Amino acid sequence: MSEFLQHLVNMLVLGGTYALLGIGLTLIFGIMNVVNFTHGVLYTFGAYIMFIVVNQLGLNFFLALPVAVVAGWLLGAAVELILLRPLRGSDIDTTMLVMIGAWIAMQSGTLWIWGGVAKSVATPFPDEPLVLGSVSVSWLRLFVLAAAALLILATYFLVNRTKLGCAMRATFQDQDTASLMGVNVDLIYTSTFAIGSSLAAAAGALLGPVYVIFPQMGDLAAVKAFAIVILGGLGNITGAVIGGFILALAEELGAGYVSSGYRDAMGFLIIIAVLIFKPTGLFARSERVG
Amino acid sequence: MRTMKYVPAAALAVALLGGPAGAQTIKIGVNEPLTGAFAASGTYVVNGAKIAADEINAKGGVLGKKIELVIEDNKSNPTEAAAVAEKLINSDKTPVMMGAWGSSLTLAVMPKLMEYETPMVVETSSSGKITTSGNPYIFRISPPSAVEAVAFRNIVDKLDLKKVDFLVINNDWGRGTAEDFGKMFKEKGISVGLVETMDQGAQDMSAQLAKIKGSDAETVIVTTAVDQLTLIFKQAAALGMKKRIITTGGSQNPDQIIAQAGAAANGTMHLTTFLPWFPEKTPNPEATKYFISEWKKRGFDFAGCTESFRGYDGIRTAAAAIEKAGKAEPAAIKTAMWDIKVKGLNGDIVFRKAGPEGKESGQSQPNVYLIEISDGKIGMKSL
Amino acid sequence: MRSGITILTVAAFASIPLWLRDPYLMNALITTGIFIIAAMSLNLLLGFTGQLSLGHVAFFGIGAYVSALTSLGFDVPLPGDLRIVHDPWPPIAGFALAVVIAGLCGYFVGRLSFRVRGAYFVIVTISFAEVVRLVALNWVELTQGPLALNNISSIALRLPGFGELVLRTKLQNYYLVLAVAVAAYALISRLVKSHFGRAMRGLMENEALATSVGIDVTRTLTLAAVVSAAIAGAAGSLYAHYIRIIDPEVFAFINTVTMVIMVISGGKGSLAGPVVGGLIFGLMPVFLRPIMTPEAQWIAYGGLLIVILFVLPRGIVPSLMQRFAKRRQEVRAVRSVAFSKSSAEEHA
Repeated sequence: MSEFLQHLVNMLVLGGTYALLGIGLTLIFGIMNVVNFTHGVLYTFGAYIMFIVVNQLGLNFFLALPVAVVAGWLLGAAVELILLRPLRGSDIDTTMLVMIGAWIAMQSGTLWIWGGVAKSVATPFPDEPLVLGSVSVSWLRLFVLAAAALLILATYFLVNRTKLGCAMRATFQDQDTASLMGVNVDLIYTSTFAIGSSLAAAAGALLGPVYVIFPQMGDLAAVKAFAIVILGGLGNITGAVIGGFILALAEELGAGYVSSGYRDAMGFLIIIAVLIFKPTGLFARSERVG
Repeated sequence: MRTMKYVPAAALAVALLGGPAGAQTIKIGVNEPLTGAFAASGTYVVNGAKIAADEINAKGGVLGKKIELVIEDNKSNPTEAAAVAEKLINSDKTPVMMGAWGSSLTLAVMPKLMEYETPMVVETSSSGKITTSGNPYIFRISPPSAVEAVAFRNIVDKLDLKKVDFLVINNDWGRGTAEDFGKMFKEKGISVGLVETMDQGAQDMSAQLAKIKGSDAETVIVTTAVDQLTLIFKQAAALGMKKRIITTGGSQNPDQIIAQAGAAANGTMHLTTFLPWFPEKTPNPEATKYFISEWKKRGFDFAGCTESFRGYDGIRTAAAAIEKAGKAEPAAIKTAMWDIKVKGLNGDIVFRKAGPEGKESGQSQPNVYLIEISDGKIGMKSL
Repeated sequence: MRSGITILTVAAFASIPLWLRDPYLMNALITTGIFIIAAMSLNLLLGFTGQLSLGHVAFFGIGAYVSALTSLGFDVPLPGDLRIVHDPWPPIAGFALAVVIAGLCGYFVGRLSFRVRGAYFVIVTISFAEVVRLVALNWVELTQGPLALNNISSIALRLPGFGELVLRTKLQNYYLVLAVAVAAYALISRLVKSHFGRAMRGLMENEALATSVGIDVTRTLTLAAVVSAAIAGAAGSLYAHYIRIIDPEVFAFINTVTMVIMVISGGKGSLAGPVVGGLIFGLMPVFLRPIMTPEAQWIAYGGLLIVILFVLPRGIVPSLMQRFAKRRQEVRAVRSVAFSKSSAEEHA
């Protein structure tokens, strides 16, 4: 029983960050219909920013997080402006392939700049975990959960209560009508991509210190993000949040009780199952982009 | 854009015409992963190899000529490893190679060695298959897990183990270890509990650790590379898993673990094949000291010594074989490999026969040491 | 005209081993050729049905494993004290089985995946490939998992009257790959030009309209999936018997990416596209190796991809054909005006 509780606690912490990854991607996928292969690289980028700011510049850990978010925002906007905007209107696979090219180039750039040896970020939290009965959880992970929750709420607020968010939702529903109503679709696209990327960078910045940082760390994260997007339904933020927790739960329980070798397969099995039985995602009926 | 067109054409022409076979230098091929998943390790090995080459050349080279390392990146990809072998053997005409890091990559190169009858020194691979597949061109200086298990057997009694769990990386190295060590434990009357695996790229082992935390074994054997080890120690500490941890495999980089896992690494023990922290305890202290000082001089990360020394030893092995053979030709070098004895940094490098009769590969038996991390420092485990 | 070019190209490729003696380049051509076959099969799905499969490496890998296991033999314990034992068969049988079983997998995946479209389809295909990889990795009793299947034999042809010819040399393997490539090209070409091909393209253009005129969506897409998977399986088998070791790395996503790059840069929907794209990106490492550091090579690879897509978004072959076609159109326009004039005079 205590093992089960431990799995549950692990799941909560992991789910929060998965949710962040998923929200970012579902926004991009839902609004722009772009298969964003750079999502994983942004995740990696956020982690390396933490490394630079905390380890190399010696700044406060808690200040480093907003820096990573902003940096992710800027990089995302740059990618959109340079690579995606000129391709607006092309096939989905041309865009996708450009994203793949960018992914290869950016990941190799990361390897070139920082080398392949894994890096670790110093954190201000105590190493001893918080022990509640037979369940242990590290302070760092609790912080991660809290920060992720905050960012998720902030995104909700942005999408549901601001003018920008309203414009995003309108573009998602019907791009032409939205632009007829005066929405600057170009701006929405750039903003969406930038916001999605900044959330990926945030996830990386939060998980980087929990794990270790190395150039290929984003690959697995990206695939899981795709799984979450499918689970939750394209463009559905609530779905992405719930999907993130479901994936974390499936991974924890799958690895704990079925077979640890198949842990990372859980995400994929979920995708396949969902797409066979309910292709539009588990929560297709509820809110879209907000 | 114009110049780009001429350069590859020129390269193609050179490759086609197979330029002059290095009349002034003796070439040694180096087939290692410099990009991709194993980039960090491959880079360490190559840097170690360069130190060896420079040292040998400073002392006059081999057979009166300088040695030249032809270094190629196999991108951590078996198809590329085979392609690189083709290039090194056929275009660069290297009579001997070192490579290819990791069993998957080395296995992909092996058919090429048979085809072109060129020997290769294997510096980092642990799959049993490499020396038991009937390939007489393979000469391995790193220990497969079977050899490690035999070495560990001598120490095991003093550790008083009763029941053991395994947490291994899900590849030939990890699985091989679980199998070979498991067999050895059973022979000693030590029972084996769980055998948990983790995927090569996995970063979260909390589920496996939670399972192990709940088991009744008092020791966990962990086999994986340094990045995952750091994660495992941190996550085990976070979960409050307090069992004894012993790692194997020789890719531990304890310095990196201490730096990154901090207090979580205290109390852990490691089976290593090299002792850069205690040069006096290594079989060849002067060589160890030279290697480490040279490594530091070049500004490399000290933690990398535990992997790079193999590149150093590998090149010295190849050079010794060339010297013994008297000429830079593959067949002669292959025969000479059986006759050499190099004072390696972790033991004598002498090749013994392994594998099916008539087609044996060479395997040397390095030393194995047990170290312990306590209070953020590395010490020999006193038994 | 078109078939003339095709014949000339095949002849040109067939002549290469006669003047190119460098084994390194031959090896590069052979492995590139194998990936081109896989890319052509991907093109069938991507270019002619418009469905973007990013899990294609699954069929490639399944073909490789089936072929390897068939020729090596295996002994697998099953739950319930059952055992399946298989004695080694000749590699050529492995090749045949690889094609069949990969095709079958294509059938099942096709039926399941084609319930969804677009982005969802992309993701389900990625998932399928990953699950297959993890099965190959973990079902050690059958696949040896990460311990790899090695010592796989080369393909041998039994010729009546000539005995057995084992295809071990570069020359022989080159021609084997070329033969399979030509066969695959011909098969795809026939399929595309038949009424199935028109049905596929109709679906790609406008699915609702196509269905309304009676095109059976599931049947058409499934057939495309089967042929596509079967050809990929053939490529996988060739790979297994040439490289002669197979481990779960064969399912790596990078292999799918390689095929996708070949197809899209060359021009999806064109028969020659994958060949052109394949030659460029498959041989690029050979040219970049001597002049760049490894990291820079990757950056150049990604960069070239982006550049091609910006300058020639429809791919190399279609863009070139477009320019070619423009000139022909002008000629035709003049001719048709002249023709209608003369027939008008006749009927007047």
